[in-house]
Amino acid sequence: MIVYIAIVVMFFVGIYGMIVKKNIIKMIIGVNIIGYALNLFFIVIGYRNGGIAPILVPGMTIEEFVSKAVNPLPQALVLTSIVIDLSIICFLASLSIRIYEKYGSFDLEKIRRLKG
Amino acid sequence: MNLIVFPVILNLFSAFLIALLWKKSKIYSGIACLCFSLLSLISVILLGKYVFQNQYILYYVGGWEIPIGITLMVDALSYIFLLVLNFILPLICWFSLTYMGKYVKSSYFYILFSLISTGLNGILISMDFFNIYVFLEISSIASYILVAFGLKTEELEASLKYTMLGFIGSVLILVSIGLILGKTGTLNIADFMNIAIGMDRIQLWFILGLFISGLALKTALFPFHFWLPDAHSLAPSPVSAILSGIFIKITGFYLLIRIVSNIFIMFSESKIIVMGLGLSSMIFGALMAIDQKDIKRTYAYSSISQIGYCALALGIGGYWGYLGAILHFIFHSLSKSLLFLNSGAIEYKYKTTKIDDLKGIEDKMPYTTMTGFVGMLSIAGIPPFGCFWSKIIIIISAIKAHYYGIAFIAVVVSIITLGYFLKLLRNIFYSKDENPKINEVNFNLLMPMVLLSIIIFLGGLIFSPNIKIYIDKAVSVMENFSYAQIMEK
Repeated sequence: MIVYIAIVVMFFVGIYGMIVKKNIIKMIIGVNIIGYALNLFFIVIGYRNGGIAPILVPGMTIEEFVSKAVNPLPQALVLTSIVIDLSIICFLASLSIRIYEKYGSFDLEKIRRLKG
Repeated sequence: MNLIVFPVILNLFSAFLIALLWKKSKIYSGIACLCFSLLSLISVILLGKYVFQNQYILYYVGGWEIPIGITLMVDALSYIFLLVLNFILPLICWFSLTYMGKYVKSSYFYILFSLISTGLNGILISMDFFNIYVFLEISSIASYILVAFGLKTEELEASLKYTMLGFIGSVLILVSIGLILGKTGTLNIADFMNIAIGMDRIQLWFILGLFISGLALKTALFPFHFWLPDAHSLAPSPVSAILSGIFIKITGFYLLIRIVSNIFIMFSESKIIVMGLGLSSMIFGALMAIDQKDIKRTYAYSSISQIGYCALALGIGGYWGYLGAILHFIFHSLSKSLLFLNSGAIEYKYKTTKIDDLKGIEDKMPYTTMTGFVGMLSIAGIPPFGCFWSKIIIIISAIKAHYYGIAFIAVVVSIITLGYFLKLLRNIFYSKDENPKINEVNFNLLMPMVLLSIIIFLGGLIFSPNIKIYIDKAVSVMENFSYAQIMEK
């Protein structure tokens, strides 16, 4: 249970970074923290207490494997999710470099020209 | 049938092929992208026979059956979306051959273009929650980059805003997928629906709420719309045509149809939420579009308004509501792509899209003016053009469901739409200006617009009983189909 609370706290720390902070780099760190919180969430879904790695070694029956191993599906999903996060972070970082070249600042207050 | 994977494979292959071989060449990269998108159109047309013979076709990736592997599925509803998507994409690619020439590294555009097509085709053929999410992210990330493609200051800022909000939308969708996986242990939609019958209603509502808010962000329905006008008006025009014409409709509206009317069928109340979102964005978009200083911003706000019509029709439901939603999707996709391409052609000659700087285009670019005229009057709902039929069906559906107030508001918003488009027509096309330097755009820019406007013009004639049979099949998918039927067979 405490892990789930930690995930929710992490998630809202990330949301705080994205919404309240005015510095683009801090916003990107917020995006990153949200990504980590989600990855942790997926891992915890598949976790079981005292579980073993989901690898079928010789000498282990299928029933034994099913009753002991953790769920491998969320772990596979997290791999994909990490790649997606990575590409978004990479893109945001390169975007912020370009923005710094144009405006000379990372401050959103100075950057905001569009009315929305 | 293996043909189902071709729209995804061809476009993905095109992206890698261009990145490997023709990164240096503007011409070859564009022609390769055009060829592959045409091949994908051909594969979709060939697929049609199998889809309409059977109710749906399935493909098990790697041969793994339903609860274990990833399943791909095309039915009549996703087929119509596939057809519209793959019809518009080659035209936009053809337009870009000349238009994107002014950018330095335009071959990168075609790589990202192919990735967007991959993602959008992939969303339409997936029957697996996580697969949908992955394809959603492929197309979204490519679109974030394409918005900033020109690297001007405003474009960078619009892209930053769009990326942040798109990320939040994806996070909401991913959290609900995580909850689905945690509660049911499956990601397959058909398998999920069988298990979900025995689940707690409050938990399902929570998942559904996260899904609807995530998708509303992607669709840019009213309270979540604020990224759209910047992103869609500042992107290069072909990109705006993709984003406004088909991107928001497939990543948002198509998934919303699936979630509301095929997956969470036990919650008919969710339709009222969708109807409210649609109604508010319909009114808001139309009011904001009146007083814009830039043509592309007007079109962007008009997109919010028209996607509101689609969501409204989905929320009203019933045969007429669903028919109106699908028809409005088809004709609005064609018309809005046409309008953004048209603004691109104007921008190509005049180097600006500010309404005050554009005057008397009719004298210099008569064909461009004709296509713009068709697009604007179509979206405004003037009789011979496509959107007239879809709008009148949406209004009929509201009256049949006894929502007289909503029908009245839909008529009023349609009149407002006509108002701001007539104002645009008078100000930029049919006004006097003595600036002789500008002449008609070339063949590559003109032909995609002419083809699109012919389709829109014939919209009323095409919508004959022969064609209606196919659209009725898609409507019956929205009315009666639930993924649980696949497991029963």
